[in-house]
Amino acid sequence: MSKYFLICLSIILGGCQYELSPWSTDADCSDNVSVDYNIARLKALEEEQGSQTSYKVALLSDPQMYPGAFLDVIKRINNMDEVAFVLLSGDLAETGIKSEFEWTCKAMSQSTKPIFAVVGNHDALSFGKEIWLKAFGDFDYSFTYQNSKFVAYNDNKYEFDNVPDRDWLAEEADVAIGEVRLNTIAVSHIAPWENDLELSQHLLDSGFDLTLHGHEHGFDFWQLLDVMLPHYITSLTKLDEYGILTVSGTDLSLENCKGGVCTPAYARTVTD
Amino acid sequence: MLKETIILSALLSAVFFSNGAKSQAFLDLQSGSLMGLAHVSAGYEAWDRHNFSAGIGYVPKLDSHAEMALYSFKYRYQHPVSWSFDWPADSQWTLLPFNFGITYLLGDHERLYFDLPEKYPDKYYFPTGKRLVFTYQTIFRLNEKIDAYIDFSVIDVALVSYVREPDFFYENYDFLGLSGITNWGVGIRYQF
Repeated sequence: MSKYFLICLSIILGGCQYELSPWSTDADCSDNVSVDYNIARLKALEEEQGSQTSYKVALLSDPQMYPGAFLDVIKRINNMDEVAFVLLSGDLAETGIKSEFEWTCKAMSQSTKPIFAVVGNHDALSFGKEIWLKAFGDFDYSFTYQNSKFVAYNDNKYEFDNVPDRDWLAEEADVAIGEVRLNTIAVSHIAPWENDLELSQHLLDSGFDLTLHGHEHGFDFWQLLDVMLPHYITSLTKLDEYGILTVSGTDLSLENCKGGVCTPAYARTVTD
Repeated sequence: MLKETIILSALLSAVFFSNGAKSQAFLDLQSGSLMGLAHVSAGYEAWDRHNFSAGIGYVPKLDSHAEMALYSFKYRYQHPVSWSFDWPADSQWTLLPFNFGITYLLGDHERLYFDLPEKYPDKYYFPTGKRLVFTYQTIFRLNEKIDAYIDFSVIDVALVSYVREPDFFYENYDFLGLSGITNWGVGIRYQF
């Protein structure tokens, strides 16, 4: 009995990590979750597929504390042939520690679609900023697919100084001479804050057509009466809820999905 | 944090002095298992098999870690089951296989906080510098004064996640998913 116990103990010891504290920054995330890897993956996919008249984008958010439910949604999206890629709009971790990121990375790495993570406010807690930069890459980045530009930006004001970078957003939205651009879509964790609604105006003036977010733990879709730039907020993966964006030329439509059932989402207009 | 440290220290001291004659004091040096590169604790067996200690640990600046001090308040229950061994030849030692505990761990760094900074609305986040760590130890009693041990630990959020979604861990990690949440370390304890 005692010898078997020691043998089992030795085996288990080999499977665990020697960890100095909860606040280490060397999260064991696969390379296939990084932004650079996924931009290359999407570019290769685009070259392979050629021009598409219509495609879908899966919108997931806030998987923190429920990596299993997140993986279930990833597996569901894997089976949706029409989905070209996945946008994950933040809060991959709850308290910003290494192990939380590792569980989410484990689920993300099983996506058969390119998957792009945007930093959330919870991701920046503790030493989450360092973990993020190592595992995923820059907080602000952009990529183009089928002549639509997707601009991911950091707008977590409590955790970062001077965000969002409005000048950078305007530069990214700018259409170069000779460039064919059908849509410009912004992605961040938090929709424009209640006390910073001029951000909507700035995004609209810069040329954005739509913004995509998470953070609110439920679906929402709104635009300001005076600005008319639609802001879509997707729900929680732990509820098996996610959004689907369909891009058909310059036509952008959204659906709220729960399980395998999706219903159209329509923007409500708010006065302030 | 100062207030909490004083309260917990006072509680430990009160238990010690109320039971002083029966208490067996010990000094503990641990490495890893979320307690730092080195973590020194002093404590005592307050009641039969119930042990309390307070300690301080240190992590130097590394590529994967900021320099940081750690403070701990630990409770450990030492189960009576023991197995004696007489190998290798001319040696005798005892294995105490089942010991469980809980540690209140405080990380001291400017990036962590014990009270929510004023910039946040009330209850916006839990304090990032305070964690609960659940521990299991296998103790190798080398003689009546010295124990060596292997410590396995699981942090609060990992235990919650594992209980909520065991299938995720079963399917993605080894040893019933425990390799996805468990850390290990080693230590040595001197009983006075």
